[in-house]
Amino acid sequence: MKNDKLIDFDENDDGIDRAGFLKCMAWAGTGLFCLMSGGILKTYGMSQIIDKTTGGIKKGLDISKGDFSFAQISDSHIGFNKPANPDVVGTLQASISKINAMPSTPSFILHTGDLSHLAQADEFDTLEQTLKSAKTGKIFYVPGEHDVLNDNGKQYLQRFGKDTKGNGWYSFDFNGVHFIGLVNVVDTSEGGLGVLGNEQLQWLESDVKGLSSSTPIVVFAHIPLWAVYPQWGWGTRDSEQALSYLRRFGSVSVLNGHIHQTLQKVEGNITFHTATSTAFPQPKPGAAASAGPMKVPAEQLRNLLGLTSINYVEHDHTLAVTDLPLSDAQQQQSGHQ
Amino acid sequence: MLLKKKYVVISVLACTVAIAVAALPSANSEFRNLRVLPKNISSQNLSKIMIDDFEDGLGVSCAFCHSLGKDSLRLDYASDAKPEKQIARRMMTMTMGINKKYFGLKHPLLGDSVLAINCITCHNGQPRPGDLETK
Repeated sequence: MKNDKLIDFDENDDGIDRAGFLKCMAWAGTGLFCLMSGGILKTYGMSQIIDKTTGGIKKGLDISKGDFSFAQISDSHIGFNKPANPDVVGTLQASISKINAMPSTPSFILHTGDLSHLAQADEFDTLEQTLKSAKTGKIFYVPGEHDVLNDNGKQYLQRFGKDTKGNGWYSFDFNGVHFIGLVNVVDTSEGGLGVLGNEQLQWLESDVKGLSSSTPIVVFAHIPLWAVYPQWGWGTRDSEQALSYLRRFGSVSVLNGHIHQTLQKVEGNITFHTATSTAFPQPKPGAAASAGPMKVPAEQLRNLLGLTSINYVEHDHTLAVTDLPLSDAQQQQSGHQ
Repeated sequence: MLLKKKYVVISVLACTVAIAVAALPSANSEFRNLRVLPKNISSQNLSKIMIDDFEDGLGVSCAFCHSLGKDSLRLDYASDAKPEKQIARRMMTMTMGINKKYFGLKHPLLGDSVLAINCITCHNGQPRPGDLETK
């Protein structure tokens, strides 16, 4: 890259012009920094907040440390070995290394499904062993459709779903925030859309019934709870019913995986956020014949994988969501050292 | 004394065999209505074919070929209710036949990396290869 001329028209003083954008992804990253306040999400390109010379956060940027933080990882697909990424364990390990190197260790990790590629015991074993190196506290899981192949999720439930309800849904409270893990991959519908099902919806309604409307809510599930691209099954058929129980709350953040890329949407007080995969990227909605593993040049792969870190600030009920591509993660690590 | 020793050895061997048999993958018996794929296929190989060959090769999800159970939101994998499943069986037979007849593979198996052609060769991420021709 050093010998390439990448920047011809740096109109925004962000080090990127249109022509050089793709090549610059290798160092600029594709992540977003997002700050949510009163249901409004503000996003910044990583190139705007990362100092290119140090790899750390730019001086003068006021990024609150918050009262606690947690990380989201997704779609590890342990067992996948096709050309899109023949080393999914390595890229998962790189994500964990980034989490461990954060200035303050996240309180816990949310894994939003597709832990494994084929729901095999040895794949689940490898995932568990790899995640043991994470320095955070507990890891909370929801299953992806790859985790429930063949047995409708029995093995997943035995290993990762203890003390959960139904197919693996549950909720917990942390520092005043109510977290809800939903399962939308065991039941299905035509076209591959996710389904929550009546039993889970009834549970959700009663789970949030007694909560004050000022309680911040974080929902996490595998398949997006908004219609990202139904033609590819990127949505959940009965998600609107679930969201109707949450609209009275002042701050609702919905975190998903499945589509292996970062997309965000704000709908009233609800902010939807999909995470990148730690394994392989997928095409943008409608940009290819179908969804599926996307092979990219090796030097670009880690820009399209990563993790999401979330800072929570109690006094004004905001959640700051930061997506970190693995390459930026490595730059930041060096910047903090 | 000798008899007692023999009895102990036989008992230990019998237990070992019983444990070994119990430990064998039970995948063979859990898949019903396999007509083209081997009846003794392992869970891993079957899942690999379904995900890597069908899902990725055709850009579809399970419900493209498998129908929902009666009054259920879960797939009934054994059911032949959807015509797409029968077509998939014919396509598997055709694909193996082409690999055998034109590429000289003696015992081609779907999911095998040595196959000369597989689903994605023609489908290229589309449910119907014809979709490509009409564009």
